[in-house]
Amino acid sequence: MTTYLVRRVLLGLVTLTLITFLIYGLIRSMPGDPVAIFAGSEDPSKKIKQEDLDRMRASYGLDKPWYQAYFLWVGNVAQGDLGRSISRKQPVTRLIAERIGPTLLLSITSLTLTYILSIPLGLYASVRSGKADERISSTLLFVLYSFPAFVAALFLQIEFAVRNDWLPLFGMVSDNYASLSFGGKVWDIARHAILPVVCSTYGSLAYYSRFIRATMQETLRQDYIRTARAKGVAPGRVLAVHAFRNTLIPLVTLLGLMLPAVLSGSVILEQIFSWPGMGRLFFEAISERDYPTIMGLALMFSILTLAGQLLADVLYAVVDPRISYQ
Amino acid sequence: MNAPTTPIAVIAESPHGFWDEAWRQFRKRRLAMLALFYVEFLILVAILAPLIAGTKPIVCRYKGTLYFPAMGYYVPSWENPVFAKDKFRRVYPKNLKEKDPESWAVWPLLYQDPYRRVRDGEWEGQPGNPTGDSGKPSRYNLFGTNQSGVDVFAQMVHGTMVALLVGFVSEGIAAAIGITLGAVAGYFGGWIDSLISRLIEVVMCVPSLVLILALIAILDKVTIWHMMGIIGITGWTGIARLTRAEFLRLREAEFVTGARAIGVGHVSVIFRYILPNALAPILVPITFGIASAILIESSLSFLGFGAPPPNPSWGTLLSDGRRNLNLWWLTFFPGLAVFFAVLAYNLIGEGLHEATDPRLREAMR
Repeated sequence: MTTYLVRRVLLGLVTLTLITFLIYGLIRSMPGDPVAIFAGSEDPSKKIKQEDLDRMRASYGLDKPWYQAYFLWVGNVAQGDLGRSISRKQPVTRLIAERIGPTLLLSITSLTLTYILSIPLGLYASVRSGKADERISSTLLFVLYSFPAFVAALFLQIEFAVRNDWLPLFGMVSDNYASLSFGGKVWDIARHAILPVVCSTYGSLAYYSRFIRATMQETLRQDYIRTARAKGVAPGRVLAVHAFRNTLIPLVTLLGLMLPAVLSGSVILEQIFSWPGMGRLFFEAISERDYPTIMGLALMFSILTLAGQLLADVLYAVVDPRISYQ
Repeated sequence: MNAPTTPIAVIAESPHGFWDEAWRQFRKRRLAMLALFYVEFLILVAILAPLIAGTKPIVCRYKGTLYFPAMGYYVPSWENPVFAKDKFRRVYPKNLKEKDPESWAVWPLLYQDPYRRVRDGEWEGQPGNPTGDSGKPSRYNLFGTNQSGVDVFAQMVHGTMVALLVGFVSEGIAAAIGITLGAVAGYFGGWIDSLISRLIEVVMCVPSLVLILALIAILDKVTIWHMMGIIGITGWTGIARLTRAEFLRLREAEFVTGARAIGVGHVSVIFRYILPNALAPILVPITFGIASAILIESSLSFLGFGAPPPNPSWGTLLSDGRRNLNLWWLTFFPGLAVFFAVLAYNLIGEGLHEATDPRLREAMR
């Protein structure tokens, strides 16, 4: 196992270097200069001197060709320094720390809801397999799964925030947030979070229920299920204990593959709801050509993706003793 | 077709080929068939768009010659220059009558234009399109009008072509790259395999939005064709992985060894011997990929990274709707169009999956 892990991590480092190199090259070849964008956004009465601009460029390695500047960036990262954002004048790590909370609030709520709801739904579907009510609910779940989240977000905004004044249209807090009591603050954020959570939950809910049903059907055809039934185990117990425990394996690996999505947030949903999370930061950094921030985020996403894959493989071996990486 | 079949196997199997059987199974699934009809309907709408909604005659006789001005909706230069020369200014009904009383014309079903507002008195008995916030759906504007008075229905009908082309072209590119790389990796194995596998891993890990946005930003002027290419070259990894797995399995098969033994070349073995046998499981993610390509294009256009106007893509319509959420019809109809297109392709993919996977087929019985 240890050799396997070491090999995977080393391989992962190679992949990581390739990925960051590729991304660095790509974003540096995008037209537009972050220093110029920054200078344009500053107070026009204060004319920034050319030397200052040049000094700024030099400090971000923008005066060098990108493949040289890349190694500058790698050197800093190796020392634990992700650099400072050009457009926001803040360390990238602090920006990420600021934005990760709102994203986690959405994604963890949505993930918890997904698991709580999809397991009973999936079990229900496998019990009633082939019956009319199961067919209808499965079809509905499939339809839901195909419903684009950003279209749903717009529809919900129109229904709940524009036509009726039930929920706030966007943002995470109201304007009077600072003056609210603690309970009021929680309630305020919860009200703002309802629509984004719904939009990021229903798709994965449908996907997971279908997934559980499919793996359950596969498991229910196994010999040991027939044995359990033959020796007189109650049908509910067969389902919950004998069958469901084995569908946990793919469910656990799915959790590993979800890891990057949990932390990176959804660009489009955060954009629609003006939710101050990671996805939105990423989107803004790209439009501002803010290289250090884009690179910091991309590095984080890639590490998470690779770690998630590794985690999935390791968990696979943990929950299924038949698999070993010797 | 090339699978080695012993006489016993021939008796045991049905007399139909694999694809006949798959089609027979597919046809049994009502929802999948419905989805297939819907996609065929969309293709029809896309091709016949200028005949359904337009302001240019399909056929007209003008000064003794027959013209087909509606062709201008496909390619602008296909609209005969005689109309520009005679100062029609894109308004046909009145000008035809005034400049040639003898003329006649066959008109599209609806007199509405996807690129401009229809003004008062242009078409007899039809008022001009409302502008601003008052463009609710009505009998003249089935799906309403946007703030500048352009008909939403006409834009959606003309945008169907974009949605379908995005699906087919970008997924075609993705499939070509994915199948080729996956096949080469799986068939040859060794260092070629590890190289390609690493490449797949890298492309999978790069956040697709970075890749897509960077590629869009590098291009000077983005057209819808660029978008299709970009979606294609970022979306091939899933197909490549599956193809690779299939080839890893099939290259050990006896018919491959047999083909190699009688001197068939590598390229021929890959594409003519193994690929037909590996195609069924690969087709499923390709179909799902068409759905996701449509989704990606509409969300990019929605975020404002799409092709610049005039581009009647459904996503562009949606971004227009987002700016005017109180005008619900600007969001509702294009949103449903995207949803139904995605749903249709997903249903077809699901049907294909069930029809070609023997294990699932058994489960249905």
